[in-house]
Amino acid sequence: MDYRVILIENNRLMLERLSSVIKGAAGFELAARYQQPGDALGQGGVFKPNLILLDIDDRANLQFIPAFTQSFPAAALLCISSHWNANDSSHVVRAGAKGYLIKPFTAEELGEAVDTFGKSGMAVSSDVMAFFSPKGKSGKTTLIANLALSLARKSGESVAIIDADLQFGDMAVFFNLAPQSTIVEAVRDVKFLSPITLNAYFQTVSDNLRVLCGTKKPDYAELVDIKPFNDMVRMAQSLFRYILIDLPAGFNPISVAASELANTTYLVAMVSGGFELQHMQRALDVFRAWPDCEQRVKTIFTRVEPCNADMQEKLGLVLGYPVAAVIPNEYLLVSAAANNGRMAMDNDPNNPLAINIARLADAIIGQRRGKVG
Amino acid sequence: MEGARSGIVITVFSTASAVGKTLISINMAAELAHEGHHVCLADLDLQFGDVSNYLKLSPTRTVADAQKAVQRDADAFDPMPFLTQYSYKGVNFSVLAGPLELAEAYNMSPLTIAHIVKQLQYKFDYLVLDTTSTFSELNLSLLDLGTIITFLGIVDFIPTIKNMKSGCDTIRSMGYDSNKIRLVLNRSNSKTRIDLEDVEQLLGEPFYHVLPNDFVAAQQSIQMGVPLVLSSQSASLAKELRHLVGRYTNQEVEQTETQHGVSSWFRKIFN
Ligand SMILES: Nc1ncnc2c1ncn2[C@@H]1O[C@H](COP(=O)(O)OP(=O)(O)OP(=O)(O)O)[C@@H](O)[C@H]1O
Ligand SMILES: [Mg+2]
Repeated sequence: MDYRVILIENNRLMLERLSSVIKGAAGFELAARYQQPGDALGQGGVFKPNLILLDIDDRANLQFIPAFTQSFPAAALLCISSHWNANDSSHVVRAGAKGYLIKPFTAEELGEAVDTFGKSGMAVSSDVMAFFSPKGKSGKTTLIANLALSLARKSGESVAIIDADLQFGDMAVFFNLAPQSTIVEAVRDVKFLSPITLNAYFQTVSDNLRVLCGTKKPDYAELVDIKPFNDMVRMAQSLFRYILIDLPAGFNPISVAASELANTTYLVAMVSGGFELQHMQRALDVFRAWPDCEQRVKTIFTRVEPCNADMQEKLGLVLGYPVAAVIPNEYLLVSAAANNGRMAMDNDPNNPLAINIARLADAIIGQRRGKVG
Repeated sequence: MEGARSGIVITVFSTASAVGKTLISINMAAELAHEGHHVCLADLDLQFGDVSNYLKLSPTRTVADAQKAVQRDADAFDPMPFLTQYSYKGVNFSVLAGPLELAEAYNMSPLTIAHIVKQLQYKFDYLVLDTTSTFSELNLSLLDLGTIITFLGIVDFIPTIKNMKSGCDTIRSMGYDSNKIRLVLNRSNSKTRIDLEDVEQLLGEPFYHVLPNDFVAAQQSIQMGVPLVLSSQSASLAKELRHLVGRYTNQEVEQTETQHGVSSWFRKIFN
């Protein structure tokens, strides 16, 4: 799909320069160009643009952002500016722009900016999934890591993991990553970032799977404030189709914030002969206060033996709440994989753990397609 | 309470979950009680604590009620009415149970809990604190309050060891005397491919004590609601647990044993 671009740039010379970049960029077509936003708003519609580049060096243009997103609901809006401005970038994102691009830009930079927001169009609404566990050692990090891999492979869309298990996040170890930047820096800097620049804080696992790693030391956890964390996740939503958030155990400010923000919260517990079911019930009671709990909250049990539909139903009956998925006990496989910085999915895609997680990925993708299409 | 003697606080802590904090806390409390000490076990895993589960207790009053009492009148606060008794074959100890409601748990104040713990210290020879595996504000104060920190770890796979290491480093950075912190390895010999000595080298210190893995015995004791040291005294895990407690009470040195017995009897009379 080509991008049909409307360019709004007050400076005549810059307008020429950017126009020729857009004309020369593969996959882009300059539909129309204007010096004044009012002209673009009034006349641009006939060209059916799906990408609008709006100069915001002219401060007055900022106020037009909502009008653009309203008048062109099918188009994504990128703001362009000759210099980086922290406040503006968060302002424009909040006002409805999808991103921020520094001008003059090259054809590559334009392509990258657009790619960053998703290949099939930038007006992305992503699925945020929070993984909550009443107690630790629930198997949720293993679940998230493998589920993310599976989602990335099956959907071909962009997937991210945010390791918000602030003190003792293990995602970097699971993927054998040595992160340059972590959640601490991303949350600290968020007000200076645009989606494109936030993307650089994530580490690459594969073509379409990226990870924002957890803190390097437990005491850095307190550097992560809730409000900028929320902003960061919202910004990441314009980068990724699926966002999976790993959380510390129990109810705490970050797990509550992430659950509230997420489209779906998965409560995860490991069956190990203790009181996991009771703890799960206790946690569920809190989530039941949400009127849409049944839609938004799902439960998953890990280390289930025997891991079959009967058992899944049985667990659901005892729990008094449907169980969305059961994951089998593959302790040795999982630990061997984690010790090597590899995923169970990779080591053996036909093992029961991989199969069950793949099934969950299918359900998530199917549900999304059902909703969107 | 000026001049009054305060009891020993054993804070049981870890930086990984499900390493056996609760199991070891209840067994420490039971063994100390078995030896004749006046013991209280506090469940400070406020949201999803297992002490009452593992001991099959149905407390009617909890730490949340204690908090309300402190908030009404901190000076007049007496912790005793908020405790639940555990007894098995003549061995008795007190339990400060965790909140019944999650909402109560979420609204507990670390400062108030510290106050409650300090008051309990004047009432008991030993206070065992079960915690969660995170450096929360509450846990930091419980680490401060501890006479001894039992820092529990298991060696299963790399992420757990990483967290044990970073937890250890963090505790060390808090400036405690090194003999306050006791590294205890639990579930030794469980399925693992990692060499113990490598772990000790990584931690920069040998384990103070090593407890064997015995899943069946541990599980049975949880199902029965009876601490291992009381129910299956011959199991090797029970033996090692007793041995560990012995090292905390000087029980292993014959001479001090009698001395300690006297002092605890003495203390009880004058409390
Ligand atoms: N030495 C041991 N051998 C075998 N199993 C053990 C041993 N110690 C503990 N366990 C088992 O490990 C599980 C976790 O123990 P426990 O609940 O005491 O851990 P915890 O550190 O309190 O966990 P949490 O962080 O979730 O509160 C229990 O099922 C217990 O029976
Ligand atoms: Mg516990």
